[in-house]
Amino acid sequence: MTSLTGDTDVFSSAADNGSPEASVMFVGYRQDELPGIYTETHRQAILAVLAELAAEGWTLALRKVFDPTAGNSPVGLDTGFTHEHDIAGVFEAPNLEAAITGTVRLERAGWARLFRTEWLMGVKEFAPVMGEGAITNHGWVFLALWEWNDQWCEATPAERTEYDFECDIAFKGDLAHKVNIAGRHRMDWSHHWHHLGAWEIGHPDVADSAIRGHEDVADFKFTTSRHIVGRLTPLAELIAPRH
Amino acid sequence: MSNSIWIHYSRPRPHWYLLSEPEQTALQQNWSAIREQAEAAGGATQGRFHIRGQHDFQEVEIWTFPQTMDAFNHWSNLVAARYNEFFAFSNNIGLGLEA
Repeated sequence: MTSLTGDTDVFSSAADNGSPEASVMFVGYRQDELPGIYTETHRQAILAVLAELAAEGWTLALRKVFDPTAGNSPVGLDTGFTHEHDIAGVFEAPNLEAAITGTVRLERAGWARLFRTEWLMGVKEFAPVMGEGAITNHGWVFLALWEWNDQWCEATPAERTEYDFECDIAFKGDLAHKVNIAGRHRMDWSHHWHHLGAWEIGHPDVADSAIRGHEDVADFKFTTSRHIVGRLTPLAELIAPRH
Repeated sequence: MSNSIWIHYSRPRPHWYLLSEPEQTALQQNWSAIREQAEAAGGATQGRFHIRGQHDFQEVEIWTFPQTMDAFNHWSNLVAARYNEFFAFSNNIGLGLEA
């Protein structure tokens, strides 16, 4: 009901099986330059809220999206080495109400002191897809936000379906790179980006190689994208005070 | 009670201008009906405002909804009626501040 396009060979609609149905993505810029703004007390308060969220059914570790038996310790992406922002990440929340109230709880616990944050919230459209080999020690994550451009909006339904299956060629190439794809989340109701795709990847170069495959099938003729690559790091480390 | 604010920025996509006037009118009527449906379901709007003079977008609409999900449903209805195909947009959701 909430999917913006139909299923393809790679993607199928997310099942309504009681698993988290919403997502929370964040991109954060550290702003704790001055001592006293953000302290260990705040970090402990944030971790306490995260523990509450986990108990309320949130998924805080992307690995758990692919393997329900995996641990749920909060994990983020260390992105400062390649991006203007310092941190990014994706959680899954039980529903949209929980998603937005969860962000407020985190901000109030001290997150707002540490980061200037862009929060994006979405609804799960497509189910996760496992890549070939499906190794568990990926170590890295690739996040893709995209929006359909004016040309997509002007295209006919048949042209859009043809485009979806062209992109499927590239997605199959991604799976051959041992990429695990956490489905697709719809963000358009609360942001200008329409979709989020989150991938587990084994190395930053995989992202570049995979995206070249998407360029080959003209994926970007119909979309504008924003890509984020980061190293998986325990969130408790990423939010450690500097002072 | 209206606890969620939903802010919607929009501007026509280029091919909107290629539609005939009756086609534009028919689509606008569909979208107006969806706005009325949202109000009947508890949403409230401040109306639509022209902002092109100082923004990338042309208009902004400001709504309040009882629940976050109501904003999602309202937007889903507009998308089902092809609104997003003819208008570029940016949306925001927010919760009322507590004391």
